[in-house]
Amino acid sequence: MSHDEHRIRQKEEKRAFREEAESLIRITLAPVIWAGHFLLCYCTVAVACAKTGDVAPWRGLLIAITLGCLLAIVWVGWRSFRQWDVRRTGDFTNPYGEAEDRHQFLGHAAFLLAIISGIGVVYSGLPLILIGGCA
Amino acid sequence: MSARAIDVKLPKPQGPYPPTEAMLSEPVSEALQEEQTVRLRKAWETPKGWRYPTAVNNTEVGIWYTMTALAFMLLAGCMALLIRLQLAVPENDLVSADLFNQLFTMHGSAMMFLFAVPMFEAVAILLLPGFLGARDMPFPRLSAFGYWCFAIGGVFVIGSIFFNVAPRAGWFMYPPLATEDEGPGSDIWLLGLSFIEVASIAAAVELIVGALKCRPPGMRINIMPLYAWYVMVVGGMILFAFPPLIAGDFLFELERSMDWPFFDPTRGGDPMLWQHLFWIFGHPEVYIVFLPSIAIAAMIVPTVAQRPIVGYSWIVLSAVGTGFLSFGLWVHHMFTTGLPSMSLGFFSAASEAVVIPTGIQLFAFVATLMVGRVKINLPMLWIAGALAIFTAGGLTGVMLAIAPFDFQAHDSYFVVAHLHYTLFGGMVFPVIAGVYYFMPFITKRLLDETLGRWAFWLIFCGFNITFLPMHLSGLLGMPRRIYAYPGGLGWDWLNLISTLGAFVIAAGFAIFVFDLVTHPWRKPLSPRNPWNGGTLEWTHDVPEENWGVRSIPYINSRYPIWDDPKLLDRLDSGRFYLPDAKEGYRETIITSVIDAKPLYIQRVTGPSWLSIWAAIFTGGCFILPTFHIYGPAAVCGALAGVFIIWWLWRDTSRPPEADSKDAGLGLTLPTYASGPDSVGWWAMWITMLGDATAFASVVFGFFFFWTANADFPPEGAADPVAALVGLAALGLTLGWAGTVGARMLNRRGRVGAARGLLGGGAVVTAAGMAALALSVIDLSPREHVYPAVMWALAVWILVHAGLGIVMQLYCLAASVAGKMTPRYDADIRNVELYWHFHVLSVLVACAVMGLAPMVL
Repeated sequence: MSHDEHRIRQKEEKRAFREEAESLIRITLAPVIWAGHFLLCYCTVAVACAKTGDVAPWRGLLIAITLGCLLAIVWVGWRSFRQWDVRRTGDFTNPYGEAEDRHQFLGHAAFLLAIISGIGVVYSGLPLILIGGCA
Repeated sequence: MSARAIDVKLPKPQGPYPPTEAMLSEPVSEALQEEQTVRLRKAWETPKGWRYPTAVNNTEVGIWYTMTALAFMLLAGCMALLIRLQLAVPENDLVSADLFNQLFTMHGSAMMFLFAVPMFEAVAILLLPGFLGARDMPFPRLSAFGYWCFAIGGVFVIGSIFFNVAPRAGWFMYPPLATEDEGPGSDIWLLGLSFIEVASIAAAVELIVGALKCRPPGMRINIMPLYAWYVMVVGGMILFAFPPLIAGDFLFELERSMDWPFFDPTRGGDPMLWQHLFWIFGHPEVYIVFLPSIAIAAMIVPTVAQRPIVGYSWIVLSAVGTGFLSFGLWVHHMFTTGLPSMSLGFFSAASEAVVIPTGIQLFAFVATLMVGRVKINLPMLWIAGALAIFTAGGLTGVMLAIAPFDFQAHDSYFVVAHLHYTLFGGMVFPVIAGVYYFMPFITKRLLDETLGRWAFWLIFCGFNITFLPMHLSGLLGMPRRIYAYPGGLGWDWLNLISTLGAFVIAAGFAIFVFDLVTHPWRKPLSPRNPWNGGTLEWTHDVPEENWGVRSIPYINSRYPIWDDPKLLDRLDSGRFYLPDAKEGYRETIITSVIDAKPLYIQRVTGPSWLSIWAAIFTGGCFILPTFHIYGPAAVCGALAGVFIIWWLWRDTSRPPEADSKDAGLGLTLPTYASGPDSVGWWAMWITMLGDATAFASVVFGFFFFWTANADFPPEGAADPVAALVGLAALGLTLGWAGTVGARMLNRRGRVGAARGLLGGGAVVTAAGMAALALSVIDLSPREHVYPAVMWALAVWILVHAGLGIVMQLYCLAASVAGKMTPRYDADIRNVELYWHFHVLSVLVACAVMGLAPMVL
């Protein structure tokens, strides 16, 4: 790598890891999808059961939304996995006070949260498939 | 951009950052060190003699807070002993049924509201600045205000049992039992504990801002101590969990004192709404109690293992994941209320899912211990006990989360056993571990090893002797909350064993408390870092200094004491930031949220009577209505407002004498900030997030009634006058626009126009309030829940709009007095933020009041 290339690369990295681009809110994206999905399922079923006594017309839609949420979480997870970048760095802990470590750590945390949120959405989807009634 | 606009800009941080090794190794002369130490000590001096209660330093307030919570815990523990004595043998008549009801209600309420949650706040206030190498919390007087609110409210609530008027409807106060209950018991619970919830929210604001903005330079988000992560998550949970309860209390108290029938099914109300609001608070609360305690374990375990924690990111995942999932569990307290089975399924599923993150952090601890070199010292002994007991409680939790099992075990002693296993293992044991571990940091002395082991084994064995048999008595059908039971059902000997065990626990606590209270007189000063910990709290001074840290360090690793052998010397010699207090003010560095870059120097407030008076009058405002004394209560409320305004006016956001000052290591930092850079703006944001959650809970109430009632709004019921509702929306929106416009004009230097908009904004706001009040004036809230809920929405908006006017006038006065200028405009930035939230709630409320009657 020539001197110039090296400098450009450094500049790029600086930009990639700059603080303004990061946000704590972003690591909560997957859990927020879980929460939205949970609330939507609960409210739909509560209102449908109270008002019509029958949740069947909504089941298909809710299951479709569940799949959509799962896809969204997979996307979030994949993006965070790339941000963590463990395959290139081999660094599982990111313990140093550097911009790069902070950047990858936030990716790692978001990735793990995506996994747990995915499990949460699958769990919430189970009653839609297995129970399916208001009784 | 005009010249004037540039003129009002505040300076930016200037100078080299991060510091180089050469800068850090430059020595500080002895003479300078001496001078700085004297000035710093003077600025942070704790008031002496009769002025001592005015102290606001986190170390003082934290100790009062923990000791008060401990005292309430001991009282609630004595009540538990009475409960156990009464249940020791069948058909006992030691206490009456009524007193028994008061005892168990108060035991649960006090343990939750006066011990578990406040203990988290207390410990965090005491320790967090130490973990972060900060001098203090960002708002010391707010901590003090919160403490005094807690102390006054707590004494009031727990004292009621000595007058035989304590609440007696169970700690979750289900209506109709609690709404119909004669006497002031339920009101004492509602108003007293609402008052304490104010303290909780104050603490949440303080702790979130503390963890986000008061970290030392360089302590990026990926290297901050795990405790700070937990505190941040728990602070966020408080903001979403406590407001539904505050909203529930608001509706409940309106029913108790004004007979508005929110929970009365004969007039369209529904007791289930209370159950929802209570448990939307109640279940996250369990984790609000558990997470910060397990956070203590996350600080102790690496020290005991003498190595960095295994799976830092995994523990962050656990904290954040548990924080979220814990909000999807509340209905598992309501499995037997007849909700649709599919709804039960959702909550059952989430209750099982939350086990995963909860388990992960325990595995991370175990992994750390396995790869480290562990010596079982006292703190580790208590952590081991905690893990054992909590795991057992977690397993019964997995059982109870399965709805059909819960149908069988509901309201039996099995549940009593489960919740005590989780709370003792998840909260009491880790906190006691923390007491042993952090005592050399707090009192600079170690607790006694022998007494500590005695206390541990007595409490550990006593606990299992008491609560293990309860699983069985529950499965044998013994319901909770019965004051006597017939013999011969197989419960007799189980109850007797439980009672014996309870006294073994009490003996353990007696030893622990004796050691805790008397050790400052019995024990020598401990070494500075007796456990060889790696985190910043162990840079503290022995003997004690009040300044927190001698100089605020530059940090670039998770365990700076282990990683940087020169840290202590440099810190002590004042080589790092803010080593001096030249102007004699208390100061700390505020840094950016993600990377902890130094942003500015925050002047923190010092000792004052104002926060105490504000707390006393706030107390009057909450406590007097319990006895239906409304006039003086209103006076107290007004006086509390006066003291709070006085405190803000005199000591916050004053224009500094210079725009920037030397922070050390060549760095010059601004001394004033407004908007998102400032801690005050963040505090407003966080407070209003909580407030918005409470408002959302009231709106949820409206839609809950609509869902649960076939006849809502009832046929032929009068609606709020739509035109007036529209006018109210217009007036209040103009009030918002006036505030926003005033902020912009003020910044551009057009001070006169800004003042005009503030004054005009207050006038149109008042007009909007009048229109809103008139829109519901003809509805009779006692007749049916529909007009009652309309009134409740109107009252909510009116109170907030009134506060909005006070804030507008405050800014107007500040502008006239020269406290607020185009350059120093933090006041109006914060008020503008308040109004952003307020105008949103106005629009939602007006939509519900004006449009919903047409649509539904």
